[in-house]
Amino acid sequence: MNNPYRSVEAEVLKVISETPSIKTFVFSPKEELTFGPGQFMELSVPGVGEAPFTPSSDSRNKETMEITIVKVGKVTDVIHELKPGDTVGLRGPLGKGYPLAKFIGQEVIVVGGGVGLAPLRTLMYSLFHMRDKLKKLVYRGGCRNPEEILYRDELEGWMKRPDLDMKLTVDVGNDDWKGPVGVVTTIMDDIQVDFSRAVGIVCGPPIMMKFGTFKLQELGVPDSNIYLSMEKNMSCGFGKCGHCRLGDFYCCKDGPVFTYAEIRDIPGIWE
Amino acid sequence: MLFITRGNLNKLLESLSGDYRVFVPTQSGERTAFSPLSEKTLEKMVIGGVRGFEPLKAFYFLGREKVAEGFGPETPHANDIPPCIVGVKACDLRGFHILDHVYMDEDYGDPTYMKARREGLIISSDCTETLDTCFCTAVGGKPWPESDFDINLSPAADGFLVLQGSEKGKNTIQKYRSLFQEATDETTRSVKQVRSTVKRKLEKSAAENKIPPVEKLAGTVKRNYESSVWADETSTCVECGACNTICPTCHCFLLYDQQSDGRLARFRIWDSCLIKDFARVAGGENPRARLWMRLRNRFDKKFDFFPNVAGEVACTGCGRCIAACPGKIDIRKVLGRLDSE
Repeated sequence: MNNPYRSVEAEVLKVISETPSIKTFVFSPKEELTFGPGQFMELSVPGVGEAPFTPSSDSRNKETMEITIVKVGKVTDVIHELKPGDTVGLRGPLGKGYPLAKFIGQEVIVVGGGVGLAPLRTLMYSLFHMRDKLKKLVYRGGCRNPEEILYRDELEGWMKRPDLDMKLTVDVGNDDWKGPVGVVTTIMDDIQVDFSRAVGIVCGPPIMMKFGTFKLQELGVPDSNIYLSMEKNMSCGFGKCGHCRLGDFYCCKDGPVFTYAEIRDIPGIWE
Repeated sequence: MLFITRGNLNKLLESLSGDYRVFVPTQSGERTAFSPLSEKTLEKMVIGGVRGFEPLKAFYFLGREKVAEGFGPETPHANDIPPCIVGVKACDLRGFHILDHVYMDEDYGDPTYMKARREGLIISSDCTETLDTCFCTAVGGKPWPESDFDINLSPAADGFLVLQGSEKGKNTIQKYRSLFQEATDETTRSVKQVRSTVKRKLEKSAAENKIPPVEKLAGTVKRNYESSVWADETSTCVECGACNTICPTCHCFLLYDQQSDGRLARFRIWDSCLIKDFARVAGGENPRARLWMRLRNRFDKKFDFFPNVAGEVACTGCGRCIAACPGKIDIRKVLGRLDSE
């Protein structure tokens, strides 16, 4: 019988410092782990514990997997100490990711905030790959300040793509920042799509998800076309341990990607 | 119908101990507790009586159990001898409806639980007495098993009326057929009488405790989500989690990693949704920061979530949470208050 609690051994190949509190780790799993954008992994440091993370690398790359991690607690403190050559455990992929097939022929608006830009990078790679099948692709990203923009060089490269309508904003600028200043919802008014048929994807901290969703609603995107990547305390990752319950769903098994229509009536979804 | 004498039952259980880890209910002070089969425990074995002190889940997914070791494909406990639990009561068997729904599935089923369920043997029995905290009939149950057992024993004079409940039970009886005899009409009549007496007692107690009818329980939390009953009932809660630990349907756990001989050792440990950090996410956000929200969550899970996803309330009326609560929070009273809101 398959043991769902088992982790696959993986080696740390490379550690990239993104910001003082954020690092991207490049892992080489000893067994092939095929994931889709929006799905998550349980990453463990042997003997210390597991925590859920969404990969930030191209899901078509079967050799390595990248995960961008903010230092916020017990497990991530230890993860941040990892060096190339160290061993970790990877369990997954878990959950349901973005239904890419449903986006074919659609105008797609991706709205990201803060560290939400990490999992969205995986999604963007997939959307770029199927770009000829999408009617339009729009990306709006927001961060607290320019120093916290993840993958800034790469994102600035995306800005030059003719097949992407992209804007980045920061809450607080600095002398070098030439772009807009304000929360992400302030750079959404110039989006030119048929909102009544468009797909909206929101990923970021709870407060940003809430107002990003409300903004898409206000622009006219139907609740059933707004995709949210929810964050709850996901431990087992397959709907048994009970920690991440969201109404009649488990965030880990039934999500973490939900449409707003599916979860809008559940009390406390933004908490 | 078949009948087995007490002496022959002892022989049967001794024979079964070759294939199973046999646990029998024994009287220990005022409690009935399951103990491993031995000459001594057989002497003190009580087949009728009331439910055991500990919930049945304690034998199917242990409070602390190793679920993974190292990175290899081997599953811990894969070679464990399956359990045979004797004298299990109907309320505990009903708990399996919820636990099976959670733990048994092809893709992500819990290997240890599924093995114990598939290979284990259950010899259940009728309740011949009640506790003040029993309320199975109020949640649609009966004080005798009607399903989910392999063999059921109904206490009668000098022995037990025997009912087979599964193919495994049938085969077990066949294998040890010489230990059984045909039951007399007198035995059947006396069992019926005990059953109706116990049931009447429970129905009277349910009425006295004003427990709302089971068909009104599903959805009760949703209807009373913002009720002041939650904060009020939580005022004596000390956040110990006993209600979760002792409950035959509470299934939540925590995965806890340790090192053993330099290798990863992952344990599955019972967890409690009443504890503050249960739903807290990394970074500190807590969707159920207040204790009353966590009490409400426990009821929400039992009376809204499980009826929606598994088709029945996740309360079997065993009353263990009432007996265990140091704050005297009484699930019957909470349900009654919600119903009268």
